[in-house]
Amino acid sequence: MKIAVCVKHAVDEAELKVDSSGSPLLAGAASKMSTFDKNAVEEALRLKAAHAGDVTIITVGPTEAKKSMKEALAMGADKGVLVTADPMSIDTRGTAELLAAVIKKGGPYDVVLCSEGSSDVYSGLVPPMLGELLGLPYFGYVRKVEVPGQSARVERALEDSIDVLEAPLPFVASVVSEINEPRYPTLIQIMQAGKKPMEEISPDVLLSGSKPAPTLFTSMKAQAMARKKVVFEGAPEETARKLVDALSGEGVLPR
Amino acid sequence: MKVWAFSESPSAANEAAAAASGLASSSGGSYAVVGLDDGTGLAGEEKLVLKSASPLLTSPEAAAGALALAAKEAKPDLILVGSTRNGKEIAARLAVKMGWPCASDVFGVTLAGASLHGKRNVFAGKLIAEVAVPIPCVATLKVGSYPGLPASPTAGTPKDVGQVATKVRVVGRQEKKKGTVDLKGAKLIVAAGRGVKKKEDLAIISDLASELGGAVGCSRPLSSDMGWLPEEHHIGLTGISVHPDLYLAVGISGQLQHVAGIKDSKVIAAVNNDKSAPIFEVSDYGVLGDLYAVIPAIMKELKARHR
Repeated sequence: MKIAVCVKHAVDEAELKVDSSGSPLLAGAASKMSTFDKNAVEEALRLKAAHAGDVTIITVGPTEAKKSMKEALAMGADKGVLVTADPMSIDTRGTAELLAAVIKKGGPYDVVLCSEGSSDVYSGLVPPMLGELLGLPYFGYVRKVEVPGQSARVERALEDSIDVLEAPLPFVASVVSEINEPRYPTLIQIMQAGKKPMEEISPDVLLSGSKPAPTLFTSMKAQAMARKKVVFEGAPEETARKLVDALSGEGVLPR
Repeated sequence: MKVWAFSESPSAANEAAAAASGLASSSGGSYAVVGLDDGTGLAGEEKLVLKSASPLLTSPEAAAGALALAAKEAKPDLILVGSTRNGKEIAARLAVKMGWPCASDVFGVTLAGASLHGKRNVFAGKLIAEVAVPIPCVATLKVGSYPGLPASPTAGTPKDVGQVATKVRVVGRQEKKKGTVDLKGAKLIVAAGRGVKKKEDLAIISDLASELGGAVGCSRPLSSDMGWLPEEHHIGLTGISVHPDLYLAVGISGQLQHVAGIKDSKVIAAVNNDKSAPIFEVSDYGVLGDLYAVIPAIMKELKARHR
């Protein structure tokens, strides 16, 4: 089974700082593999363990994205492909087009996995666009995958239902984080990851011709959370009373 | 400017209708509400009801195909889609089929120049981004960001698109139990996090919730990692977004992904034994202390007042 996993190298939202005007300090900000992508890598490794085959990690991003790729390789993936592109000048459609081109070039793959959304922007558009662009069956928000033979059976986690779907291989899917618990690579795996093959491709090699105008972020500002931040400390009876008083005063407790 | 408001869910379609109506009147244009059922639950003067031999309601693939066929004929300039999980898939597929750009989870939409402008949460809600999408385009609207327009008595115009080719087959659907948990509409939520040491101790949380007439929620570790509560209790970026009058976070540290789902709460209160827990930074009221002592004390206090 030939498996591709699309991962994103993202600015670490927890570490991101803003300046005094509330603008994010994106240059030089700490970055990491997008949180939920680890679940997609993990699911690919489980499919590989069950069916034999190999796992290719594909990412579109800056050179630093090699860090995320190495992490996925340390988890157990076999090789990586980096499409070097400036993430700020490319939108979800552009990303999906580049991923589709890499998948077509290196394929055919039996399975293409993504996570439900990236931990930075969380648009959730790239996986279904990828399915549509590749003309393959697509399953979104998958919490369980089974590939008993030449077809896949998945469970999708929706707001009000769990849907069961089937389609023949090859397919594209996005997984939800509840699907598995990602493994931690061992020290030896981390050291060996650097020796695994990593290919770099320029986007110009993959796509030519005119592209639709991208959807762009024109500005970003810190979100003001105007909260009172009153903290009660002391004996439980006393703090409980103060809290209940405060909440009664707000009129948010049932009478 | 011709705007379409679409969702497979009538309530989300009517929220999109509210946004579409605003855009239509500001541009001197018109809007239509596009739905999949019989159209009686939909708002608006102009309603289009897509009909097909394919299962449009359960297959986002079929719904996107149907919508694209109808849109190529009626030529709207802008299609707003309710940002449900299926809605995002429909919008993304539709954008590719139409050759249009797409944005997701936007709110506060306006028109400026030849673009749709809107806001969206990024970096787990730490920042708000302004986004500009060149028209024609597709955009998904953050669920709950517009009050839905009321259903109108106008009959929907049926539009039969025939059979839509699909690659994926829907073979089963298990509806989640209704009424057991309705966090989205809850006025009061008590939510548990990792500070709760074992599954049995969740009784303390559910007892407090029932004393207050509220619902029980949790942070991601309790549902996804421990499996102590079903996934529909999970509040946060990858779970449910809530907007109660009171959100009481018990033993929840307040990671960004969790906070992203509780921002719209009127009052946020927290009980935590870690003074540096980020939850206190986003709370109106906090109690620093051991939840195993504080929650029983709150119960006692509430019971004494009710007497």
